[in-house]
Order: sequence, then structure tokens, then C-alpha cells
Amino acid sequence: MNEEKNKRRFGAKRWLILALILAGAWAAYIGPSIFKPVAPMVVLYPEPVWPGLTLLGVPLTNTMLATLIADVILVLLAIKAYRFVKSGNLVPSGIYNAFEAIFDYLWSSVEGATGKWARRVIPLVATIFLLIFVANMIKMIPGFESIGYLEQPQKGRAYAPVALFNIGSKTLYTIDGGQQVEYHAEAAAGEAESGEHTATPTGEHEMCEACQIIPFLRGSATDLNFTLALAVIAVFMTQVYGTWALGPSYFEKFFQFRALISGGVFGIINFGVGFLELILEFAKILSFSFRLFGNIFAGVLLLSIVGALLPIIIPPGLYLFEIFFGIIQAYVFFLLATMFISMAVVSHHGDEHVEEHH
Amino acid sequence: MNDPVAFVTGMKLLGAGLAMLGAIGAGVGVGIAAAGGVQAMGRNPDAAPIIQTNMILGMAFAEAVAIYALAVSLIIIFAAG
Repeated sequence: MNEEKNKRRFGAKRWLILALILAGAWAAYIGPSIFKPVAPMVVLYPEPVWPGLTLLGVPLTNTMLATLIADVILVLLAIKAYRFVKSGNLVPSGIYNAFEAIFDYLWSSVEGATGKWARRVIPLVATIFLLIFVANMIKMIPGFESIGYLEQPQKGRAYAPVALFNIGSKTLYTIDGGQQVEYHAEAAAGEAESGEHTATPTGEHEMCEACQIIPFLRGSATDLNFTLALAVIAVFMTQVYGTWALGPSYFEKFFQFRALISGGVFGIINFGVGFLELILEFAKILSFSFRLFGNIFAGVLLLSIVGALLPIIIPPGLYLFEIFFGIIQAYVFFLLATMFISMAVVSHHGDEHVEEHH
Repeated sequence: MNDPVAFVTGMKLLGAGLAMLGAIGAGVGVGIAAAGGVQAMGRNPDAAPIIQTNMILGMAFAEAVAIYALAVSLIIIFAAG
């Protein structure tokens, strides 16, 4: 009976969706060439938001700007949640509801792993989770990696610029997917220095002939600096928590002099194992940073390449996939940091551990 | 072989493809982890949250190897001279 009802109902939305798909196919393959998909320009390193723009002496890169936006969003959310807690209202509503759900989950994970240390550990790991989560989510917003200034690329494919429309005295340009320009690095090496912008003020600058878009915003985790910084913080704080919990004897895990003196042959082996543990701490930094960076960068690469090959139907599914991976990677980073800290705060001598239970 | 630049480019792409062979092991590892996790959850559904956490942890470790391979191949294609 329910199915019959559905059969007879002809909503407008499905036709709208179908029309949008057809319009997308028309724009991508048949229509004017400015809508044609362009081959992505893949760069590993982040680029400056604007040529010559610096922040405290460091060039402000597009990934830094995206991280700052994620920070601002998080701070605003935190203020809102703090106001809610202060208001004394016990029934959560709105954004605070989501906050509470996420935090409940994080809290149960941390408490399960670290026990009585959970209250001291959760500020760090939950902050890391929320930052990676928000950074991975705002990366999905249209405009990321697609709005920027035009510049002549050092290598790879480039496209002819086309004027779109004027805002005041400024002109917005886009690149023409139909007019691919073969680019030779030697011929235009000098011109590449003076990069042109999407909004050229009153046409003082010369436009580049073969351009690629340098985006204003790019996902934070597509920059190895971001993930490496988080990894270094996580591993360093693991040592801090370990020292906090066990005192100086925490470092006996790495330098087992006691075993070397009194242990005989196995003492020497244990001493070597301690050094391996020390190397393992640095391996943690590498694996933390490359895991997050690799996953997110591979996702961006997949989206842009599939978007250039088949810009209809497939990309929305991949976007869902990306949202899933953004959450999973934030959770994995959080979980691994929690696990490493929980391993650091328990004593590595089995006998002492047994005595605590008595 | 007449064009050394094209030869080097082709070899670079071939090397990047070969570097991704590392994903085989990671794929097998993730599959084994998922199989074990699902079996355990089927036997003891009450313990599902703990099993799921540990399963994701193990998958993340296994997957890291594939990500190293991916990083190497990306560096070969885009960064290595």
C-alpha cells in the first residue's frame, strides 16, 4: 500500500535532480568550453595565499589560512558550548547536542584506555580530534582548491584565461577547459615570476597566457607541515605524560642501564631493545604524519582526477567517501595518540603493576 | 630510447606504479583485520564497541604501509627531480 502511494507521487525534486545531472553532462561535454573539466594541477607543497603576503615573517600559505579558519570555527563552537554549560540548562539542543555526542564518544574511548588519567589526557587528544575533524570537513566546501589567483605553472598543463564578469573595476577570470595551451618551461621562465591574479586591478598587470589557478584555500591535512606538527606534539606530549606518571623512571624504558649492569647477556639484549624503543618513538612521528597526510592527499587527488575524467554522477559518491575518511582519519589519529599515551603512563615493570592491585 | 627525457619520465611513472605494490600487503592485512573483527563481533555482539575500536586501530596500522607506498610514489611522480 505504501509502495502504491510512492508510485503515484511525482515529486518535483527527482526531476530537478535529473535535470541537474543532464545540465552537468551538457556543461562538461557539449556546452561552452569554460565549463569543461580541467586536468588538476597536483602540488605537494602549499602555496602562498597571495604573492608576498607574510604572517610574522613566514609566507602565509593556503593550508595555513584553512587551518586558521578551522581554528576560528572551533573557538566559536567552544564559546557557544561554554555559554550553554554556564546557562545551567540540562537539556542539550542545537549544535551543543552534536558536541555532547562527539564528546561522550571520545570520553568513553579515553577512559577505557587510560583509566584514572583520562581527565588529564582528554584535553590534548580531543583537541587534536576536533581540529582534524573540522579541518577535514571544511575542506569539502566548494571554493576550496578552486578559487584563487591565476599563475603560470612551472610545468604541466595550463589553460587560456577567460574574463567572466566585472565587479566594480575588477574583473574575474576563469580558465578555459577547452583551450589547453602546451606550455614550455624554458620559453616563459621569466614570466612565471610575475604571477597574475583573478582580480586584476584596472588591468595594470599583464595577464598570463597559460594559467593555472593557485587556490586561496586548501585542505589543512594536504600539507605535510600540518600533520607533522600534530604528530610531533602528540609524541612529545606522550613523553610528558609518561614522565608525569612515572617520574624520571619513565626514561628507563629507553636506557636500561640497570638491566645492562645486572642482567648478563639478556641485559645487553634488553639494553638494545631499549634503544629500539627510542627509535620507535621517532617512527611514531613519521607514521602519524604520513598516515593522515597520505589519506587526505590521496582523497583530494582521487576527487580531482575523477572530476577531470568523469565530472558527473561519480564525484558525489566520492565526496561521501571523503567525509567518511575524514572522520575515520581524525578518529584514528585520536585513538593512536590515546593508545600511545596509555602505554606511556602505565609502568613497564610487570611486578610493580601487580602490586598496585593488592 | 631516442628521447632520454621521455624515457626518464616513463621510468619514473613505472617506478611509481611499482612502488604501489606495497598496497597488496596492506590490503590483505586490512581484510584479515576486518574478517577477524566481524567474526568476533558475530560471536560476542556485546563486546562490539571494544572489538570495533581495536579493529580500527589494527586496520590503521596495516593501512599505514599502503600510505607509505603512496607517499613514495607521489614523491617519485611530483617531487623527485
